[in-house]
Amino acid sequence: MKKVISEKFESIGRIQKGFEGTGYICSQQIATTLYLAFHLDKPVLVEGPAGAGKTELAKASAAYLGLPLIRLQCYEGLDESKALYEWKYGKQLLYTQILKDRLNEILQGSDSLAASVSKLRQHDDIFFSPDFLEPRPLLKALQQEQGAVLLVDEVDKSDPEFEAFLLEVLSDYQVSVPEVGTIAATSKPFVFLTSNNTREMSEPLKRRCLHLYIPFPEPKIEREILRTRVPDLSEALRSHLVAFINQVRKLDLKKLPSVSETIDWARVLVLLHAPDLKPDLVSETLNVFLKFEEDIEIIRERVFEFTQNAVKVP
Amino acid sequence: MLQDFIASLRNSGVRVSMSETLDAAATVKTVGYDDRQILKDSLSASLAKSHREKRIFDDCFDRFFSAESIRGFSSISPMDRSAVPDVSPLTAMILSGDRSGLSVSMSRAARRVDISAISFFTQKSMYIQRILQEMGLEELKQDIHRMSEQEGSWSKQSLEALQAGRERLFEEIRDFVEKQYRLFASSVPEQIMESYLRRVRLSNLEQRDFERMRRIIQKMVQRLNDRYARRRKRANRGALDLKATLRRNLAYQGLIFDPCWKGKKLDRPEFLVLCDVSRSVQAFSRFMLLFLYSLHEELARIRSFIFCTNLVEVSHVFEECEAEEALAKLKRGVGLELTLGRTDYGQSFQDFKEEAMDRVTNKTTVIILGDARNNYGEPRTDILKRVHELSKRLLWLNPEPPVYWGTGDSEMKRYSPYCFLVQQCSTVTHLERVVDFLLRTPG
Repeated sequence: MKKVISEKFESIGRIQKGFEGTGYICSQQIATTLYLAFHLDKPVLVEGPAGAGKTELAKASAAYLGLPLIRLQCYEGLDESKALYEWKYGKQLLYTQILKDRLNEILQGSDSLAASVSKLRQHDDIFFSPDFLEPRPLLKALQQEQGAVLLVDEVDKSDPEFEAFLLEVLSDYQVSVPEVGTIAATSKPFVFLTSNNTREMSEPLKRRCLHLYIPFPEPKIEREILRTRVPDLSEALRSHLVAFINQVRKLDLKKLPSVSETIDWARVLVLLHAPDLKPDLVSETLNVFLKFEEDIEIIRERVFEFTQNAVKVP
Repeated sequence: MLQDFIASLRNSGVRVSMSETLDAAATVKTVGYDDRQILKDSLSASLAKSHREKRIFDDCFDRFFSAESIRGFSSISPMDRSAVPDVSPLTAMILSGDRSGLSVSMSRAARRVDISAISFFTQKSMYIQRILQEMGLEELKQDIHRMSEQEGSWSKQSLEALQAGRERLFEEIRDFVEKQYRLFASSVPEQIMESYLRRVRLSNLEQRDFERMRRIIQKMVQRLNDRYARRRKRANRGALDLKATLRRNLAYQGLIFDPCWKGKKLDRPEFLVLCDVSRSVQAFSRFMLLFLYSLHEELARIRSFIFCTNLVEVSHVFEECEAEEALAKLKRGVGLELTLGRTDYGQSFQDFKEEAMDRVTNKTTVIILGDARNNYGEPRTDILKRVHELSKRLLWLNPEPPVYWGTGDSEMKRYSPYCFLVQQCSTVTHLERVVDFLLRTPG
């Protein structure tokens, strides 16, 4: 398996091609970073505006490598029992109930409390063994035989404390469980962390990661993305649409339209059988890629101008 | 080579740690120097860790990796090496038009004289001379001298070529040093300027430093906000929440399997800030207002008041206007019911009591900026005492150094018992200390 994967990471060009096969168009920069991440065994911290394809990148990597994608969605208050591991309390309880008789047997013959305890101690770790460990995403990713793609999504939403125990996972690919010991990765997972920049990530975390900034794609790449995602869209309409969106992105809006919204809009236009971009049509479908009333108001005034400009693009 | 590049990155303000340097070295080993774009992308991934740093990185990379190439030596006719026996390597290189050789020799010389340490433009000519020396200028001069003496064995043409080459070399090195200066020294004045601004008394600052100051203050406030703006929950392990534990474990026949700990919720802080704008603190208040303005930009729950003879709320001004405009308005009290007469802390506290005392809760931090010079008026410590009791914290920032507190009409000594912290605050460093203090004591 390892060999197959390292073949897939043989060269930067090959990565780009391979990702195209999964429907994800990546720029050379992205491919280079992935190439490095594999060869240096490092996690990748992906930043960029919302909807630029950060999460999609991890999904595409999993698809490309044929590995399972394990996803950990971060939020405020996420703690280790939800991210790392938890004890299966129910199972522990059930087993103690079922094994009550056996326990009695073992304890028979010991007349004092101290003797019972010392007898029990010979078996004590049974209920705190890996059998009773419920792996949560981080631990699960380490336990995958074939390796996995681990996606820690929106890590900026988590608390600074959470970052601290991410560090152990990220730098050594291991997890320490006090009762069991250190559990190391069977094979190292590929780790992606995504951040929307609601807060600056801590220095140690950044130090352990490669950093990738995914901006909104260039028109050329965005057209490629549309081509693979919405194949029914005519070529002319595709370039007009991308030109229009790019004009919108230059404005100061509350939320800029993302790539996924461009795709949505393209799908809508296909559904409506629109032959080309017309101001009326655009005004009616603005709400597909603009999500705030104020933004729609701003664009509505300039729809005519933008459409004119966009249609001019060859 | 990589070391130099990282040095120039650090100079421009990108923080590069030791482990990142090692990463970069491993990166270069993996991808090699062949493809410029790939090298740039991969170094960028391992060295620049935020959007801002990426931009600096791009700039630095372009400057750094375009610096070391020599052009324009093609004019010299390639000479047969055997025709020029026993000359210095530099002479030979010039005569044979060996550009890459000269390039290499120049960058080696540059490294030997430690060009990355260049920090002032006055050092340029010194570095040019040193590099020339290192490359073997002396030998070159001797060669030229010898050539002009024994003209017979040397063609006049090659002598001229050599002299032209020397001129050319000098120009190349000057260009090179110029580029290196821009590469390594560009940020030094910035750093010096910044550290100067941090130390100087706020009241002595000039108008033209205002923008720069604003950036420093903004950096500080952002740090404050990073910690504060979000509501955070912190498990306070160790304190058992008995009620919750029993409730949760009812399902296990009342056996306590799953203990529940008391969580501590951190609330978003509320700030009430009172700023003195009277004449005695005029120069100082300008920057205090700037600080306030930045706080308003970053923090959601803050109300500001300014006072002199009386007190008015000015939160709306901060929210509506640009920084310059807001400060100008506030200083002259435009559109506000502010009387700029004798400073009256007593009256101001009275106004505060009427206007905002009901907003002071155990989540509120109250900050007072002022010199506590009350013109021998009634100090009204009773109101301050009440604020102290109601609020979470009461901070007093005084622009005067502690020795002046309590002298003349200063009431600082009388006010200070009711304050959680009284701090001299006349430079940015002081201000920073206060921000640090706010950060250190969470909640």
